[in-house]
Amino acid sequence: MRRTALAVVAAAVVAVPLLSTDYGVYLANTLLVSGVLAIGLDILLGLAGQFAFAHIAFFGIGVYATGLLTNRFSLTFPLPLLVGATLATGVALLIAIPALRLRQVYLALTTYAFAAVAQWVFHSWDAVTSGANGLRMSPTVLFRWHLIDDRDAYPLLVVIGLVMVGARALLENSRLGLAMKAVHESEPVALASGIDARRTKIVAFGISGCYAGIAGGMLPLFTSYIHPDTLGLETLVGILTMVVVGGLGSTWGVLAGVVVMGLLPELLRDLQVLRELVYGAVLMLAVMFMPRGIAGLAHRSAS
Amino acid sequence: MGLLAQALASGVVTGAIYALIALSLVIVYKSTDVINFAGGDVLMASCYVALLALISAGLPYWASALAAVGAAAVIGAGFDRLVLERIGRSVRGQDVLVAMVTATIGLSYVLKGAVRLLSVSSEVRSLPSQFLGPPIILGSVILLRQDIGILATAAITGAALFAFYRFTRLGRGMRAVAEDPRAAALIGIPIVRMRMLSWAVACAVAAVAGLLVAPKILMTPDMGIIVILAFAAAVIGGFTNFPGVVIGGLLLGIIENLVACTSRRKRSRWRRSSSSWWC
Repeated sequence: MRRTALAVVAAAVVAVPLLSTDYGVYLANTLLVSGVLAIGLDILLGLAGQFAFAHIAFFGIGVYATGLLTNRFSLTFPLPLLVGATLATGVALLIAIPALRLRQVYLALTTYAFAAVAQWVFHSWDAVTSGANGLRMSPTVLFRWHLIDDRDAYPLLVVIGLVMVGARALLENSRLGLAMKAVHESEPVALASGIDARRTKIVAFGISGCYAGIAGGMLPLFTSYIHPDTLGLETLVGILTMVVVGGLGSTWGVLAGVVVMGLLPELLRDLQVLRELVYGAVLMLAVMFMPRGIAGLAHRSAS
Repeated sequence: MGLLAQALASGVVTGAIYALIALSLVIVYKSTDVINFAGGDVLMASCYVALLALISAGLPYWASALAAVGAAAVIGAGFDRLVLERIGRSVRGQDVLVAMVTATIGLSYVLKGAVRLLSVSSEVRSLPSQFLGPPIILGSVILLRQDIGILATAAITGAALFAFYRFTRLGRGMRAVAEDPRAAALIGIPIVRMRMLSWAVACAVAAVAGLLVAPKILMTPDMGIIVILAFAAAVIGGFTNFPGVVIGGLLLGIIENLVACTSRRKRSRWRRSSSSWWC
């Protein structure tokens, strides 16, 4: 069962650049970026149980850092992405220290406010981000090759995606991952069993920010333009729905959620006005009838 | 000095509307622990109900307003009973908040999508104001009758809400459920019904705020974005404290007007989308 599923996924990944149109490859690229973003959000939300909204800000930091380093210093590929990811992780850790004194609704609203401020900075810091005009980003250089279009970038994005999924799988049963699950289940119990809950939450925030930063660094590999409007609540809500519909805390579920909720707007494209209505209805029905998401459905049908 | 007084006066009016929307969010949060991201869209949808009743059905204003408030209450009660109740029973532990908030996001999309289906939403509209007449001049401050009407309606709505929660049996029951659902259930308060009613009241309050704000701004299916400022007001006020939230709303309105009237900085498109239709 598991092996066939893996084989199907692998076949699909290989088949995309061979069989699909340019638009299909572009779509696959955006799904890969969403996948890394969603896994990162799920580490905070599904694994450590912290409801925070700052994720999109770290993604933006990753995009702008990578794009600007490539533009201004023509650095070759892994460097801008790594710097962007480091920066995003650093900011995430800094935010985590005051934010994690709060919980539940207050944490959600404070981190949301941070995301709004970050978007304002992207929008208004004209000298660096070129503000409301958006930023043109030059093509990525990898050794001697220039990655010009979606097909060039696809294999690289797949590799990064695989590394990030692998890292998430390693986290699952590591000491740190188990500590996060314990904090999620019950903070007092976690504290009583000697887990430093505060440190665990801060680390979860940092790792989540790192994923968002790397996802941000993946974007300039195949797009040449970023506008601050795309770094707002709407994008974050899109990622959140992928995680929730897929199933909090389950990597395979989250990835399934990314594919389903990522492709849904494409399927609804012909419906025009009905699109929003159907998307919202699917979202409500999904949380109503699939309490553990797609992962829960798969689990139930397997057993 | 005149400018300052004028900014203060306008700020109080704006702030009163923020305070009403924030009250709606806080009622929902206290009774069901949910952040209602659809709050602004309930407001938007009820404005369109009023518009339809006025234009298509040709009803008088008071009947249209009543229809709008009633529709909002039905949306709220229905959403709680059909969607949130079910989630509350099937999702366990801390993930309930995430699932419920996601459901409100779904509701937000559904309401926006539904309104976009209406032919009236394809052009920018506005609701008529009920408070007409020449402005009243007090020293250097010019007060529009509309603004005075807004302030009075908001104050009456707020006072009615306080009275309802303090003096009526139903209101006390709803407060008890918000305070401690288990204890409330033990003494025989029907918690499911109380939660449903809380959602109905909250959405009705949002509808009142919508009816007040709609004559001042342009109506579009995206006008629900105003809820962002109400969230800020609610946070300033402590999110669970009714008087605090009212003060938070007023403060926010005053600060916003003072900043808007004193700074000469050009406004970017992003700012315009959230707040600047006021000044």
